[in-house]
Amino acid sequence: MDIVDIFSYAWGGIKLRKLRAALTTLGIVIGIAAIVALLSLGEGFRIVITSQFERGFALDVLTVTAGRGLLANIISGSGSEEYLTLNDTYTIDEIAGVRQATATLSKSISLSLGNKTYTVTVLGINFTEYSTIYSTSFLLENGSVPLNLSNDSIILGYRLHDPWKNGTILVRVGDYVNLTWTTGSITKPIVKRYTFHVAGVLKEIGGISIFGPSDIQAYIPITTAQEIFETDQVSQIQVQLVSSEQRTIDSVTNSIKNIYGDKVTVISPSAMLNAFSSILSTVQLLLAGLAGISLLVAGIGIMNIMIVSVIERTREIGILKSLGMKNKTVMTIFLCEAALIGLVGAAIGIVFGLGLSNFVTNFVFPLIGNGTNQANGQGNRVVSNITPVLTPTVCIGAFFFGIATSVLFALYPAWRASKLKPVEALRYE
Amino acid sequence: MALIVQTINLQKIYMLGKVPVNALRGVNLEVESGDFIAVVGPSGSGKSTLLNLIGALDKPTEGKVIIDGVDVSTLNDDELAELRRRVGFVFQFFNLIPRLTASENVELPLAIAGVKKRQRREKTADLLKAVGLSERAGHNPTELSGGEQQRVAIARALANNPRFLLLDEPTGNIDSKTADMLISLLKRLNEERGVTIIMITHDPNIARQAKRIVHILDGRIVDDAISMDGGS
Repeated sequence: MDIVDIFSYAWGGIKLRKLRAALTTLGIVIGIAAIVALLSLGEGFRIVITSQFERGFALDVLTVTAGRGLLANIISGSGSEEYLTLNDTYTIDEIAGVRQATATLSKSISLSLGNKTYTVTVLGINFTEYSTIYSTSFLLENGSVPLNLSNDSIILGYRLHDPWKNGTILVRVGDYVNLTWTTGSITKPIVKRYTFHVAGVLKEIGGISIFGPSDIQAYIPITTAQEIFETDQVSQIQVQLVSSEQRTIDSVTNSIKNIYGDKVTVISPSAMLNAFSSILSTVQLLLAGLAGISLLVAGIGIMNIMIVSVIERTREIGILKSLGMKNKTVMTIFLCEAALIGLVGAAIGIVFGLGLSNFVTNFVFPLIGNGTNQANGQGNRVVSNITPVLTPTVCIGAFFFGIATSVLFALYPAWRASKLKPVEALRYE
Repeated sequence: MALIVQTINLQKIYMLGKVPVNALRGVNLEVESGDFIAVVGPSGSGKSTLLNLIGALDKPTEGKVIIDGVDVSTLNDDELAELRRRVGFVFQFFNLIPRLTASENVELPLAIAGVKKRQRREKTADLLKAVGLSERAGHNPTELSGGEQQRVAIARALANNPRFLLLDEPTGNIDSKTADMLISLLKRLNEERGVTIIMITHDPNIARQAKRIVHILDGRIVDDAISMDGGS
């Protein structure tokens, strides 16, 4: 019996019990729809996150921090003994492949804006160098960054100026703001205060920043920062390279390692992006796995229905065998029925899944995004920017996964059908 | 004449619940090409069991079935399936597939044997014409009378040009007038096309029309004679 005849015979078997076939197919539809929706939302989420990172990032900038990295410091339970100073920027400047190195000193402080106080990160920077390195993101709302700033000048990120983007301005250029922080021991805290003159507000950058400029930071001259925070340390050194090629990144990283050994950690944005991407992929896989459970349930449903179907059609199987049908053809017929259910279910499921993910992004996420809480600001923008992305791999994968699940769970019933003895099958009432 | 079927000391024991039933107790039968045999005997005498064994639907407990010189017991499942394509089976309860039309039912064994679609269609049309059902080709079995269903079953059995035709009580579920028509159809097939026929029946009037009558009682052949009516 050729495959076309087998398929048309199998199709006849499905048509005979339309409702039952439809319900069985529905199981596959739900499973595949869940997988497709979660994966396409996940992919959309990843693209948004990645692009947000890229906006705050400069791919040709390495970040050097003292110690063996954040994680190592947390694990060892103590801060690093080693630290970087302004002098280290001159050392790094000499390395081949480095265009410019600049030091930054960051500190978490309280900033009073209007009648409220916000905890923000203030970054001590060399304005000339910093604005050259982040020339695409470190820009003032009106005009370029003034070069000869006085020691008490502060530049604010966009969201410190207009946090809700609705015209409620907390602070304007020319205003004075107070920075407060505590030093000393926990038992004897000393509260320090310093007044700054707002010299400018940055253009909105958008995105999430880890090392580059961001909308929720404030910037002061690094010399002032070292003076008022009473330290000669710097938190990080940003190293701009002559190119963003991996070769350059590797060679400069190695050169820095040669000079400092294990005392510093060099982080490249591309490596971070990769790491982040792989974390997101893992999360996505986990979500798909959860959705896969519904497919497993659908598969068991198929097995159940197929067993019932084989029992009901025992006599028919007997007839087919008495007419000279081979065992493997009987088996193929039942597998084809399952494959057809899987095929239709997967196709509908993909369409449904895409519809579902679009529904979620268009109607459910905006509800979440309506919150006007500043702390949630960044997260909300990420969520409301998600557009589901269905990659061809996911699409084809889901399609074949749906078919494979159906066929897999039909194996046992089909095998049972093929092993029926003709005489006994014919005698079945 | 050539021997197509031979059974040697054929025995079949099957379990009815936990009780073993001796359905056949050593049957020796030789069927020659062109034969038209009626197998008669009371219910439970082993007629159907014999027919199932000859049609390679079942395996004997003891003894041999030799079809066209091949010992059936030496064949595997696939080879048995292929052998069944050369045997035309007609069942008492017709055993048509309800969701297929008359012509699709007739076409089915041809499809199973891998015959090309165009040839299948031609052959099916010929067969339905031969059994006088061309008009009813597109009807489902439920829309056909018992006699019509039985004729579809015969057309289906003939589809692959079988070496012989096995009929299990072909007139058991049809009225006597239709039965007469059926028997004349079988006689015609036997005489004009040379189809070898082995037929189980209860009805002495039907049996008498065959060329040879085999009596079975308690799993043994008790009489094997040329029929006076059928032979003439």
